[in-house]
Amino acid sequence: MSRSPSLPAALRAPQAARAGGLVLLAVAAWLLPYQLNVYWISVADIAILFALLAVGMGLVMGVAGQVNLAQIAFFGVGAYTTAILTTRDGYGFWTAAVLAMIATALAGVVVGTPALRVQSHYLGIVTLGLAVAFIDWITNAPVTNGDSGISGIPAPPLLGINLSSQYLYYYLELIVLAGGLAFGLFIVHTPLGRRMRAMRDDPLAASAAATEIRPLRMIAFVLASVYGGAAGVLYAGMIGYIAPETFSIADMFLLLAMVIIGGRRSLAGCVIGAVVLTVVQQQLINLAAYAQLGYGLVVVAVVVFAPAGLVGIPGRFRSLYRRWRGSTGTSAVLEPFRPLPVAPAAAAGVTPGEPLLEVSHLVRRFRGVTALDDISLTVRAGEILGIVGPNGSGKTTLFNVISGFYRPHGGAITLNGRPVSGMRPSQVSRLGVARTFQHLRLFGNLTVADNMLVSLDRTRTWWSWRYLCWPFGIWRYDRALKRRAAELLADFGLAQFAGMLPGTLPYGIQRRLELARAIAGAPRLLLLDEPAAGLNGEERAQLAMIVRSIRDSGVTVVLIEHNMGLVMSLCERIVVLDSGLVIAEGLPAQVSSDPAVLEAYLGKSAVPSPRASEAPQASEASQ
Amino acid sequence: MERSSPLASLPSGDDEAVQSFFQTLVSGLSFGAVYALVALGFSLVYRTMGLVNFAHGAVLTIGAYVASTFYLSARLPFAVAVPAAMAVTAAIGLVIERVLRPLENKDFDLMLIGTIGAGTVLEAAAILIWSSSGRGVSSPVQTTPFDVGGVRIPAYNVVVIAVTAVAMAALTLFLQRTKRGAAMQAVAMDHEAATAVGIHVGRSNAISFAIGAALAALAGALVGPMLYVSPTMGDSLGIDGFAAAILGGFGSIPGAIVGGLGIGVIGAFAAQSFQGYSDLVTFVVFTVLVMIRPTGIFGERTVNRA
Repeated sequence: MSRSPSLPAALRAPQAARAGGLVLLAVAAWLLPYQLNVYWISVADIAILFALLAVGMGLVMGVAGQVNLAQIAFFGVGAYTTAILTTRDGYGFWTAAVLAMIATALAGVVVGTPALRVQSHYLGIVTLGLAVAFIDWITNAPVTNGDSGISGIPAPPLLGINLSSQYLYYYLELIVLAGGLAFGLFIVHTPLGRRMRAMRDDPLAASAAATEIRPLRMIAFVLASVYGGAAGVLYAGMIGYIAPETFSIADMFLLLAMVIIGGRRSLAGCVIGAVVLTVVQQQLINLAAYAQLGYGLVVVAVVVFAPAGLVGIPGRFRSLYRRWRGSTGTSAVLEPFRPLPVAPAAAAGVTPGEPLLEVSHLVRRFRGVTALDDISLTVRAGEILGIVGPNGSGKTTLFNVISGFYRPHGGAITLNGRPVSGMRPSQVSRLGVARTFQHLRLFGNLTVADNMLVSLDRTRTWWSWRYLCWPFGIWRYDRALKRRAAELLADFGLAQFAGMLPGTLPYGIQRRLELARAIAGAPRLLLLDEPAAGLNGEERAQLAMIVRSIRDSGVTVVLIEHNMGLVMSLCERIVVLDSGLVIAEGLPAQVSSDPAVLEAYLGKSAVPSPRASEAPQASEASQ
Repeated sequence: MERSSPLASLPSGDDEAVQSFFQTLVSGLSFGAVYALVALGFSLVYRTMGLVNFAHGAVLTIGAYVASTFYLSARLPFAVAVPAAMAVTAAIGLVIERVLRPLENKDFDLMLIGTIGAGTVLEAAAILIWSSSGRGVSSPVQTTPFDVGGVRIPAYNVVVIAVTAVAMAALTLFLQRTKRGAAMQAVAMDHEAATAVGIHVGRSNAISFAIGAALAALAGALVGPMLYVSPTMGDSLGIDGFAAAILGGFGSIPGAIVGGLGIGVIGAFAAQSFQGYSDLVTFVVFTVLVMIRPTGIFGERTVNRA
């Protein structure tokens, strides 16, 4: 079998042009202080600190999708811990700095805890509330010296360099920012950040692809807090004096504006936003109210007209230009599916025909409605099982319970003899159950290749400790994932779409991508929820071929489908549900002539029954 | 907060504790009534158009200034000044709704910063018009406090609670008994279905935004004599009011009332027991409550987004 060894363009390392630009930028940043007077160098120093804070915000909000309005509190924890430890307890600056970073990470855990339970605006007000609580504490507590603040914080000693000079301090900050930004970008483009982005786009689909949502949210908050803490430590060392007014809610909103205006989904955008707004704010500081008015208007305008922020503007112009030129944009085409390598089910550790998934007496209720009422069925290894039934008969609920989205209210599910009911979706996925969704759930802001990579990565969240000490291992692992993604995309005929966003593709191709993504998780059991919905005749035929090939490669398939032609031709066995009950089970031919099935689908009157006298009433009831 | 009541002749320690408890409760309930009005504005706008409006606090500031200007400078009676201020902010609300319409039902980050931006503009306008120094507003009710079993209840606090209750009742009647109100309820439940049966969703949104802004002005006007009118007064009242709305169940009208009173009472007792640390205690308690019951006391009545 010939598999393309070369990576598609979208999977290759960033281009040389970008590297050249970075070098230029670094040189410019290095030479900048020579052009600045004392006032502007202090502005630059502040801008870098805001940039560091903004990168942290970008990671938690833009990348992981977690609303965080407590970043200013992380900044404060870093600064205050450094100040208290150096001035009151007599610690050296760097010892205090390390302890301050640990304290901030702990603060990150505290602020991140509510994110395990609540999201969106709830998380917004809770994190904002915790920031208010922190500000209240620093303005009142004796240890922080209340309103008057703490003075006399020493400048950090560093190999005899006089860091009390704002010029030299600039370089210290620059190095920290460059390091922080590089680390942040490394995270974003490798498995950890990819999972975070997937979680941001669709937490349900991410958890079905083995992503552990809660630990990941916590990591995002801790990351944000560490960036905030670093900025706080540097601030304390730079100014030598801190007071509560530096850590106000107004500054929190300013920081938020920086991130949104720059472009929250891009760390570079966060830095740009921070630098631009700091400079603008310093320029307008004497105009106070008018400046505030202008700043507010600009924020509203950016949010309304350029929701992706400043970094999104060039892309908007490019697409406008393309539309003006009249080009359709893409010339990518769907290639034919290449059958997967045939492997007997035995390779997956099960004997064909043996029960792989056993569902017994499963019950699931929604308030008063019993969606699943004592369901029992067996899926045998190596088969294609069809589940059919009228709308509302509990098919999708059954899938949701099996894959861990809903907890059952009774009964048991075993996979290969192992009980799985009540497990989290990520655990079920890790045990080898993959699924697709009735209404497509692709990661909309991730490329096609990234969609595959999220699912291919089967590591646990704690594997991410490597980011702290062994980035090369991560890099190598990521390369291997990308090679595998390229192979799979080629198999599914999707190679030409690798660099595109799923939303830009035709519906049928998106359906195929979701199937490919499920297979990327190397499942033993594949649950397909109405895979043919919205497909045309030719696409349906291709789907049947792909599903057969998937089964032949050793994956057991269960599919929910309304298209009877497809079910009858594809499935070896069929289970019929109605009102949360199994009403028939057997070979396609048996099931299709079963009176109970006809009744469920067509009403009583359609079934030739001996109780002919009841027919008129029944036909009324079936209307 | 009014806590200067000289509880002079107190027979025993037990009674003193009980009286102090009720004193704090009364104070908490009057602030709670104001929070409830703020929360109601948040919830009303959110349930109809899915917009979390962080400019709400700034609208409150404008309302407080306009009401105090009518009352102090134009020497209108308080009972006239307040409705006039509500009309002014309702008009401002219509403008904000038009500007921010592209953000409705967008993701929370954008709404958050967009409405904060609008709030910043309003706050700057307040500074430009009324200067950055605040002003005190004399209480419009000059009668002596009621004495109920040793607990002194300032007459103005009773007025605040009564006005809030009337406003809540009027709003509930409007939503449940009028055609326009029923249309707004329908939009809140399913705006596509509402469009399909011929309800003008845009107009419905504009009306709910205007009512929300008017409620903010009412809250600002009422709280003026209790606090101090300043350009930043809306910041903390906005945060407290939003917290109240979430605590009660975001989008729910009874939830806004219960949440508002809840935050008011928690705040009053926190201030009494922990002095300066009242914000700290209030928000830590709030965080714990939200984690225990994320959907709030009455559950979220929300725009139906699939």
